[in-house]
Amino acid sequence: MDELVKKTPKDKKINCKNLHDYLKTLTPDVLDRLYNHPATCLAVFRELPDIAKHYVLRLLFVEQSLPQEVVASWVSQAYSKELLEVVGVLSELRVWQETSLTGGLVGRILNPTFKKNMKIAMNGGQDLKKMFSICYKAILMFRGKPWSLSAQMEADAKPRDIPFLDKYASERWECVLHYMVGSQQQQQEGGISADAVRILLHAGLMKRDEEDGGSTCITKEGFQFLLLDTPAQVWYFLLQYLDTVESRGMDLVSCLAFLFQLSFSTLGKDYSTEGMSESLLVFLQHLREFGLVYQRKRKAGRFYPTRLALDIASGKGNVARNSSHPGFIVVETNYRVYAYTENNLQVALLGIFTELLLRLPNLAVGVLTRDSVRQALRSGITAKQIIDFLRQHAHPEMLKEPPTLPLTIVDQIQLWENERERFTDSEGVLYNQFLSQSDYAVLRDHAKTLDVLIWSNDQRRTVVVTKEGHEEVRKFWKRFSKGSNM
Amino acid sequence: MDTSEDLTESSLLVVVLDVGLSRATTLRNDPALAGQVLEAVIAFSNAHMMMRLKNLLALVACDTETTEWIYPESKADMSDLRQQDGQHELFNELERTVRRKIAQLLKRSAGSNSKGESMLSGALGRALCYVHRMQQEERQLNARVLVVTANGQSVSQYMNFMNVFFTAQKQNVLIDVCCLGPESSLLQQGCDITGGQYFRPPQPQGLLQYLLWVFLPEPLLRNKLALPPRVKVDYRAACFCHRELVDIGFVCSVCLSIVCKFSPICTTCHTLFKTPGTLPIKPKRKKAKLV
Repeated sequence: MDELVKKTPKDKKINCKNLHDYLKTLTPDVLDRLYNHPATCLAVFRELPDIAKHYVLRLLFVEQSLPQEVVASWVSQAYSKELLEVVGVLSELRVWQETSLTGGLVGRILNPTFKKNMKIAMNGGQDLKKMFSICYKAILMFRGKPWSLSAQMEADAKPRDIPFLDKYASERWECVLHYMVGSQQQQQEGGISADAVRILLHAGLMKRDEEDGGSTCITKEGFQFLLLDTPAQVWYFLLQYLDTVESRGMDLVSCLAFLFQLSFSTLGKDYSTEGMSESLLVFLQHLREFGLVYQRKRKAGRFYPTRLALDIASGKGNVARNSSHPGFIVVETNYRVYAYTENNLQVALLGIFTELLLRLPNLAVGVLTRDSVRQALRSGITAKQIIDFLRQHAHPEMLKEPPTLPLTIVDQIQLWENERERFTDSEGVLYNQFLSQSDYAVLRDHAKTLDVLIWSNDQRRTVVVTKEGHEEVRKFWKRFSKGSNM
Repeated sequence: MDTSEDLTESSLLVVVLDVGLSRATTLRNDPALAGQVLEAVIAFSNAHMMMRLKNLLALVACDTETTEWIYPESKADMSDLRQQDGQHELFNELERTVRRKIAQLLKRSAGSNSKGESMLSGALGRALCYVHRMQQEERQLNARVLVVTANGQSVSQYMNFMNVFFTAQKQNVLIDVCCLGPESSLLQQGCDITGGQYFRPPQPQGLLQYLLWVFLPEPLLRNKLALPPRVKVDYRAACFCHRELVDIGFVCSVCLSIVCKFSPICTTCHTLFKTPGTLPIKPKRKKAKLV
């Protein structure tokens, strides 16, 4: 009997992890240190599944550990699957711990560091100071000085308003994107620093072209990155940045804690840099470069977080449409795409999946063709990303009545994608050369009942089962053939 | 994240706090308790805001004479606000605002010496108006109201309460009641009509824990969590004439108002009734004699 394993490598998709997935990759030790900061606890809490949030809050004010069975009974029987998920998540993130109670029961208690800092985030430290005066002093000693983002300081002589910050943030961020697309505007605006380039290279969004004297060019993943919405881009970029933080000799925990603190700050307010460590100041300068914070001068002593920074903790997807950027794309049912923009970057992005017809001072016209879309698909972009991009930047006129995009266009782009995916691969094991039709039928039916059958052909007496099911089927076959021989 | 979660992205909670609860009999023995209730409500509000980034909160207080809008303030003064002790700024602002405004309200009401019922129905009305406005502004907002009170036997406001409850039902707004005083059948009815949760904590000292357990879960989540079972609701209505709960009464056939004693003219819609008892006598039909 021949055995054959089919395998084809899948196209690499860029994987934008959410906060939870990222935290899971951290070591328990780092996690425990992270929970030393209220802002981090709050950010972690927000990312938990809904039921898990309630679990945390219910346990927050309970001082002793509760038996596992009691905790499990909080969710009604019908939803035990969700309960398992919740228990898994809370253990994974070390939000709660297992303890042993008298009588051999397993108890659950919240991670003491997490619990303490959640309470601080919720109610402030003042009342707690009395209650946990000893613990609190310990934290103060640990941190050296209670650094809270905003020590008392006089008002900024030239305060910056929200529109200014939005403009600044988007300019800085677009600078990075411009660099990736390599359009001409970038040279005028001064480009980006070597550090940022290093991160892009590290992230695999750009690669060095060896033939062309080491100049950088964009990769497949880079194209996908460009079509993400801005918060997702920022988050992806930051994840890559955090990967390199340790190698720069900076402390990952303090950087993360600072990021979370930033994300819970208020837009349009200034914060003091007083008391920040040297490495944090370096981190702040990097954030400044990407437009996450605004600082007038390097040594200004105060900074303003921008919308980009605030969106971090909210995770991807649930961010409101950026009001400072009205959409500019009109898509018609005749596959024409009108982009009311002067921005070279936007036009370049559009050019990835459309055939540009003409370019006027404030308008670019392109047409979606099978070829242009297929070319984009070939470079690793998915149909969903194209559609999301068009939807995200839809002109206000398009938003007036749903659906935003013409359904025919959406369907067609998806069809063009499906066209390329007529084959679906699945790994499996082939059984053939059966001696009789009945042998074949027995094996096929058995595989079917085990729900491992992928494909079968009666004429050629061929069966393909999944890799996982192979062992089971093989055992069965051995037993069966032995039985029939006797 | 599944789709059901997207639909409930932001939820609005309006807390209606009855400040008059310090006068309630159950709390009179322990004056410190009123302060604890306020603490618990603030902590609970923070907990609600903590659940999701886009969660909204409003707080209305009511007294025997007036209702007062506490949070959010129309013109928030954020300038002097600085983060302290690592508490989230927003929570800090909420806490300060609530404390300040409640103190103002108490000071004002301390001068007047009126004894009566809290203007709970008025406060509920304001809460519903706010919900309505927010729902106009933001689509897919699920809203609920939590009433924290100690005197729910406001039979004199029976009509107002019923109007509020049915409006809430129509608006799809849940009304939860946390009753610290004696059982209130009126508020129970409200919870039952709108599908909310009625709960009377056996020990008011642990109020926060009760609030977090029973009232924090969003309506969609409630069937997943084990919560106290529905209480059996006393659906007696109050009569319009003496504002007392009646088992059997008279109902106007035109406007459906309830009265405990018969009167020939309806007090609400002025319809004239014929006196009962003397049913019109059927005129005897003269039958033709059989031949």
